[in-house]
Amino acid sequence: MLNTNTAQVTLRSPNTVMKLDRLGSVHQCRLSFMRTLLRRMKIENWTFDRPIFDFDEKGVGVAVYCAKGPERTYSLVCFGHDLSPEQRSDRVIAHAWDSTFTLFDGVPDQDDIDRLFQNIPKQEVGRVSHRELSVSRANRSVRLFEHVVESLAAGKQPDTEQCVKVGYLMRTTAVYGSGKLGAADRERIADRKELSGSFQAEMLSVYLTRAYTLDLAEEVARKRAPHSAVKIDPDLRRCFGVGNSTGLGMAPFLINHPTLLNNWVAAREEALARVCNLISADPKDVETFSTMLMRAQLNTEQWVSEHPIQVEKLKELKRDLQVIEKHIEQGVLEGNMPWQRLYTWAEKTLSLEAQEQLVSLILEPYGDLVDDLERVMKADEGAAFTIDGAMSLEELKAILEKEYAWALKTDWSVTSNQARAWYVSAEKLEPRIGDRFEEPIAAYEQPLAPGRDAQKMYCDVEGWTGEPSVAAFLLRHPEHRHVARRAQITAHFPYAEIRDNTISKDLLPIDMLRFKLAFFGATHFDPRSDRWVRINMFKNAPFPHELANNAADDWAYPQLEENPA
Amino acid sequence: MIFSLNEIEAMGKRAARGVGLDWGLAEEAGKAARWLSAYQFPGAETLCELLTRNDGKTYDELVPISTENTWTASSGALCPLICGSALSDRAHLIAAGQEIKLAKTAKPLLLLPYLARAAEQAKTAIEVTWQGAEITITPQGVAITGDNIGATLVDEVKCHAIETTKEMSSEGVVGCEVDAEIWDRLAAFMTRYLAPDTEASRIAGAGSSLSDND
Repeated sequence: MLNTNTAQVTLRSPNTVMKLDRLGSVHQCRLSFMRTLLRRMKIENWTFDRPIFDFDEKGVGVAVYCAKGPERTYSLVCFGHDLSPEQRSDRVIAHAWDSTFTLFDGVPDQDDIDRLFQNIPKQEVGRVSHRELSVSRANRSVRLFEHVVESLAAGKQPDTEQCVKVGYLMRTTAVYGSGKLGAADRERIADRKELSGSFQAEMLSVYLTRAYTLDLAEEVARKRAPHSAVKIDPDLRRCFGVGNSTGLGMAPFLINHPTLLNNWVAAREEALARVCNLISADPKDVETFSTMLMRAQLNTEQWVSEHPIQVEKLKELKRDLQVIEKHIEQGVLEGNMPWQRLYTWAEKTLSLEAQEQLVSLILEPYGDLVDDLERVMKADEGAAFTIDGAMSLEELKAILEKEYAWALKTDWSVTSNQARAWYVSAEKLEPRIGDRFEEPIAAYEQPLAPGRDAQKMYCDVEGWTGEPSVAAFLLRHPEHRHVARRAQITAHFPYAEIRDNTISKDLLPIDMLRFKLAFFGATHFDPRSDRWVRINMFKNAPFPHELANNAADDWAYPQLEENPA
Repeated sequence: MIFSLNEIEAMGKRAARGVGLDWGLAEEAGKAARWLSAYQFPGAETLCELLTRNDGKTYDELVPISTENTWTASSGALCPLICGSALSDRAHLIAAGQEIKLAKTAKPLLLLPYLARAAEQAKTAIEVTWQGAEITITPQGVAITGDNIGATLVDEVKCHAIETTKEMSSEGVVGCEVDAEIWDRLAAFMTRYLAPDTEASRIAGAGSSLSDND
């Protein structure tokens, strides 16, 4: 029996959690969407097959991967293309890719595949239907893909060090879901239990894409050298995740889905609080934690980035994980409320990167206690959308003073505090960010600075002399309507708002991208600039054909004994 | 072409912003187009016609001068996106028994999504009428009589809470046919709030300077 003391430890304050530098230090955890997907598929005995797989020596062709659950089958339809290097760009503004994909609802027949072949390779320019749940594309890691194919064709295994260093053969560069390009609306699939959690269709699509990338490399090698080609050793094969390149689009998502953001964060905070409320730690749980700590250290060793910010963060993380190890060796987990004491110590001692890594690690031994929280990591966003016009302005003001205190204290007239503006480019609707005072972009600004807007509204509320209701105020101040909605949402959902300046000169958009990607379950964040990050997904996970005979959730950190590096 | 509800909402929001509605109102305009589409009304078309009609008019010309008695607009016709939001904000007054009267109003069909939210929030049924149309909205759905539901301009709209036992039709559309010409017009409105692409913006605004051919 787990002995918890729910009265003592409360959730961490949103004023602490929702700061950008901390959000930019979050790591995957038991509640991450990739992990919940694999746990479900394992428990439900999903089966997988590949009814179509036909490629030439350049990787041009088509494949279909089917994932069969208890009630439905989903199929990833994959198209391989011959892409010239000058066309290879991971940006939204690209027009061609190495491979393109869609997740089909059911099993496609030849007519479906023909229809999809006319559309999926064109991505945003094509159209899909409610039978499709996602549209995505991927580019090769040119050097590693070629090295792997060459090695396999020559009958050799690829170089382990290179494989581990890059970590993937292909990078997805966009995974569109939720009704984009004509695909099924989220509402159409949200009541299916296998897809009710956040981004489960997208994660399934990426999971099958990973299998495709390895199968493709092996097939291209076989086509090049049918007599000598070999397959990749299964243990080495599992070291390959699927990469992803992510740009600014994820940042607006977080701000535009406040209730969902709250529910994600609240679930993780609740998980942390549950564990911190344990009165004692069972020796076997301490053992699990210690093993995971070592595996996290190995993960950090394998985590490569050349970006100066991440280089520094990795240095701190490596150092701090050793500090944690030494601290644990002193027996600190033996006494009363061990996890709470450990976390409190960490908050005073460690870098943010290590504090957040510790939060994830603390949850690892306690699946029975926390995994059910995945069920609350979704949101009925419509319910919270309606503004309560009956609210008094006094109450609205009190909300602003409580939930936006940081913003009311910020001097928004200082240039550096509003140096940036988020906008959308006419070129393929690519989200961008620029310098408000140096580029002609302010007129196109997106509403992605809730702090500044809350402070503006506060000033007008203070100066309002009419009927003191939200309804009356907003009729004459429509410019505050979006932030009034946000404030009312935040009053009920405290983690709904990023409590930091999203237009400051010092803003690092990658902090927002990292946070969202960590909730997906991504690892090995590798910023390529302050607004662009590469990651790895499903690295070390069992492949679909291995899931039945392998643990579903023991891959998020590399194995100690099986590490080939 | 068939569009998803998500696409209709996103386009509706961007197009409304493109003609100058503030963000909060634009968000609700997108939701309104989506709601109408889900109930098999011509959501994108109706929004497009309204935006075309009101293009160039200021908020002050379209907003109710006063909400004390009958609502009127200085430009002659009220905007259903602005009035819809204001009605939704006054759900509590409607639920408390207050009848709200709007004078001349353009595209009153667009009021329904807002009243549906008001009905949901105040947990009441709302009846809305204009010449040739009588509509009951509850948190469960909508029931319509009359042949003037798609009116371009009506002289008066009345809404108040009622008790009803009417059978309601509920949403259930999976995608929605929208004429290409309508979609293009909405896209043209949207384009106004998109920053023109420049070489500098392309390089500095997103991505990184590193090669993807590695």
